Amino acid sequence: MDSNWQLFIDSLWPLAKGAITASIPLALISFALGLVIALLMALMRISKNPVLSGIARVYISIIRGTPLLVQLFVIFYGMPTLGITIDPWPSAIIAFSLNIGAYAAEIIRAAILSVPAGQWEAGYTLGMSRTRSLYRLILPQATRVAIPPLSNSFISLVKDTSLASTILVTEMFRKAQEITASTYEFMLLYCEAAAIYWVICLLLSALQNSVEGRLEKYVAK
Amino acid sequence: MKRTIPLLATAAILALSLSACGSSGGSSGGSAESSASEQSGSALQKVKDAGVLTVGTEGTYRPFSFHEGSDLTGYDVEVIKAVGEKMGVEVKFQETQWDAIFAGLDAGRFDVIANQVAINPEREKKYLFSQPYTVSEGVVVTKSDNTDITSFESLKGKKTAQSLTSSFYEAAKAAGATIEPVEGWAQSVTLLKQGRVDATVNDKLTFLDAQKTNPDDSIKIAAESEDKSESAVTLRKGSEDLQEAIDNALDELREDGELASISEKYFGEDVSK
Repeated sequence: MDSNWQLFIDSLWPLAKGAITASIPLALISFALGLVIALLMALMRISKNPVLSGIARVYISIIRGTPLLVQLFVIFYGMPTLGITIDPWPSAIIAFSLNIGAYAAEIIRAAILSVPAGQWEAGYTLGMSRTRSLYRLILPQATRVAIPPLSNSFISLVKDTSLASTILVTEMFRKAQEITASTYEFMLLYCEAAAIYWVICLLLSALQNSVEGRLEKYVAK
Repeated sequence: MKRTIPLLATAAILALSLSACGSSGGSSGGSAESSASEQSGSALQKVKDAGVLTVGTEGTYRPFSFHEGSDLTGYDVEVIKAVGEKMGVEVKFQETQWDAIFAGLDAGRFDVIANQVAINPEREKKYLFSQPYTVSEGVVVTKSDNTDITSFESLKGKKTAQSLTSSFYEAAKAAGATIEPVEGWAQSVTLLKQGRVDATVNDKLTFLDAQKTNPDDSIKIAAESEDKSESAVTLRKGSEDLQEAIDNALDELREDGELASISEKYFGEDVSK
């Protein structure tokens, strides 16, 4: 019992460090880039230009239709056969951003479409252009609608970063595996890693609540 | 409500970690028996009653455990099948990746591991081993044009690709290499050829077999280990009776020459002793 407690305590910092230096930054950077891709793709997808919406459709379809693990492998192990060798970290960020981009694009598209058509008309009545209406009226309201599903995606992403361990990124789960490699205490270390992921996600849920509250003011009631 | 959530979380985490400790704390030396730990002497009976010996193996480790078409085959697979035959039980395989194989044994997902598990002191603290059925050596594999790695010692400061719980991981670490963790041989060689690592330490037999089936002159053996590694069937502590039954079966297989002939089939020589 004592030695297990000791191992639990001793591994807490290495695991937390794995989370702080790898899992969390990986999730944050990928999510930020993913959102930019998503917004672009969502706007392309609802645009009347068939080429733009076609590109967005194909991209979303491919990413949503293939496993994230496969996407990571294609970028990390597959690209070098084409002469493009990308380091583990950038590979992970590219894969995660592209992945989030596709899922979040659909969320943003749905959120934009959920804003009542009357809001567009209101904008036009006030003499706003389509673009101006989009930025001043529609997006703020769509943002509030998109927060819960986007939070879901982000929380999923935080845990999906554990897949980066397969392409040589030493994040929290790989740290746990490293410790079990010499101690053979699987149950303890995996539960410990699970608990840390959980704590991170609890904090994120709390953050979601507060952001939701703050954005409430943009919604027409 | 808002205040109860963090409280609940803390309580749950404590419960979680305590139960984790409790389940593996049991006997002296912090051994690996988990909830699936045997009552001494019942492991063999359980296997006999079920008529099935469940074996954990990778299924992706040529030539020891791999798929030929859709069938699982390989040296380790055939050896443990022959052992099962001698014991009069059926052998059922559970394929799992190497990193999860000891966890699977701990959790009772299978009775034994047959996957070139090398016997070493750390493992002997946690697990039981049958008598060895493979004796081979570790080798350092590098790109053919690599000239600065010529021994295990020269791995110091170099990057190698290893499976985390493999004994070659320990060997590479002991030599002072920086280790990139991977899932198995195929990934190691890919990284090596892509120039992402300088070397990989693995079983000589694996290298020779890979060269036989898929000759590749861009990689070579740069150094061989001096000490031999012995691989054996791995069991949970507490299953001494099952260990004895497997040892007896292996003895019989040695005597009637079957072990040697399985070895000949895969390696062209007897690597079983």
